[in-house]
Amino acid sequence: MTIPLYEVRNISKKYGSVVALDNVSLQIHAGEVIGLVGDNGAGKSTLVKALSGAHQPTSGEMYLEGELRSWKSPHDALEAGIETLYQDSGLAPDLSVSANVFLGREITSPGILGKMGFLAQKKMDHQAHADLEAVGIAVPASNRSVSQLSGGQRQAVAIGRAVAWASKVIILDEPTNHLGARQAGEVLQIIKRAKQRGLGVIFISHTLPHVLEVTDRIVVLRLGKVVADAPTSTFDAEKLLGTITGLIETA
Amino acid sequence: MKEVRELFKNQQFILVLVLAAMIAFFTFKNPIFFTNDVFANIVSDWAPVVLMAVGQTYVIISGGIDLSVGSTVGLSGIAAAFAMRAMTQHSVNQDLTLAVGTLIALAVGIAIGLVNAFLINKARIVPFVATLATLGAARGLCIVTTGGGPVGEGPQKGFKYSVAWLGPFNTPALMVVVIVIVAGLFMHKAKFGRYNYAIGSNTFAARGAGINVKRHLTKVYVLSGALSGLAGMYFYIRLGSGSPSSGASGELMAIAAVVIGGTSLAGGTGRMSGTVIGALILTTVTSGLIIIGVAPNWKDVVVAVLIAGAVFTQGLRTWTKD
Repeated sequence: MTIPLYEVRNISKKYGSVVALDNVSLQIHAGEVIGLVGDNGAGKSTLVKALSGAHQPTSGEMYLEGELRSWKSPHDALEAGIETLYQDSGLAPDLSVSANVFLGREITSPGILGKMGFLAQKKMDHQAHADLEAVGIAVPASNRSVSQLSGGQRQAVAIGRAVAWASKVIILDEPTNHLGARQAGEVLQIIKRAKQRGLGVIFISHTLPHVLEVTDRIVVLRLGKVVADAPTSTFDAEKLLGTITGLIETA
Repeated sequence: MKEVRELFKNQQFILVLVLAAMIAFFTFKNPIFFTNDVFANIVSDWAPVVLMAVGQTYVIISGGIDLSVGSTVGLSGIAAAFAMRAMTQHSVNQDLTLAVGTLIALAVGIAIGLVNAFLINKARIVPFVATLATLGAARGLCIVTTGGGPVGEGPQKGFKYSVAWLGPFNTPALMVVVIVIVAGLFMHKAKFGRYNYAIGSNTFAARGAGINVKRHLTKVYVLSGALSGLAGMYFYIRLGSGSPSSGASGELMAIAAVVIGGTSLAGGTGRMSGTVIGALILTTVTSGLIIIGVAPNWKDVVVAVLIAGAVFTQGLRTWTKD
């Protein structure tokens, strides 16, 4: 058995007396896409926040490539190669495409100007375009403001940004939400390409056909607990829905 | 034709047109307006307003607001005045006294900025309320510490520096120009400005990208305080004393300059050049109305119309974009 790329063991998260996550364990391997599904309030968002370093779990451990790690902030997780695309809010709309792609990781000018934080804008415009193209996204011009893009283009840029930067794990929270069928299809293609590049992909979605199409394994959360963790081939739409709602009992 | 239409969509171009139209109008009404003396007076009025407005531009683009800038001007000027009076009584070199006064004014501004940042970041009070509190506290301290009168008996050399020698510019105003240019470069060409736009545009995305939002906001409010502190020193040099009423309603002038300059109060958008011209429009109106013999109280009405007009054209551009 190979060492999992990213693993959480027995993590719990309590908000006062509310238990949002109850002893959750989860593994993801390189080149694997796992689907994380569950009803509203099942603990998906809390788990995403723990995985991405936005919140610290109350108890439990996290391992990246077999090493015990803990994240004090999203910045720590980013540095370690874990990218997260949050639901609906990945981009700063007033900034250009390239400014968004490089946000928090700007390329600065050489020499003293760079030390003062001055930016190499042309270089970033160029590089952003190339990076997005490499993950299969064609966006007109990278110096355009994101607010001028369509909803589908914005989402493509947000995902492209995450895939381009991720060196290990990429967490996508509802990336196909509010997208048309064709655009959602493109997003699923990007996920497949990310998998081919050897990334571990955690795909969170309510759209079960998308989950069944793109994932290798599905983890079902209910009321803060993992109630199923099995290869996607063992599920069909009906069984998956039943597991999520609790009409079908598994363990 | 298309280029001309594009030009009119450019906010900076419209602002320059408005300014030129104002200068033409005031000159037509009274030719005395178009003289270096009047321009020197406008520049002297402009410098402290633009200092406050530059900090305010950073704050507003980051999604906040700083109402304490006017009171900071007052309190920093008074603190500097007390120190400089003591130094003058001990016959310290005048230039050294002015330099120490500047540092003290700067320190008071930074301190108020830190208080604002603490209230916003740690006590989680919204910027409007947090800076309203410091506005009141600082203005109150101005009266308490001075008993309401000006604090003079400082170095007389200050007056010498308020004489314009490079066209309409005097030495402190030239320093302000340098500060404005540096602040503009950091806003539009450097990481600091980039993060400022990102936070104002989408705080959540900025945090997700690993930006330390609270630390950045602390820097922004400290910058606003520091520049207001320098504005306090500027008034001292101009008046020869620290007055508890210096900078009164300065926050309105600063915010007006930013808004007229095309920066959205919603955060995320705006340009430093707009603020610079916005402040120039405000101070030109003030001087112009006096020179053409309009009762000074009309000034506030004209400023109000300018703000409403600026916000209206911003809305207009948003509609035509859709």
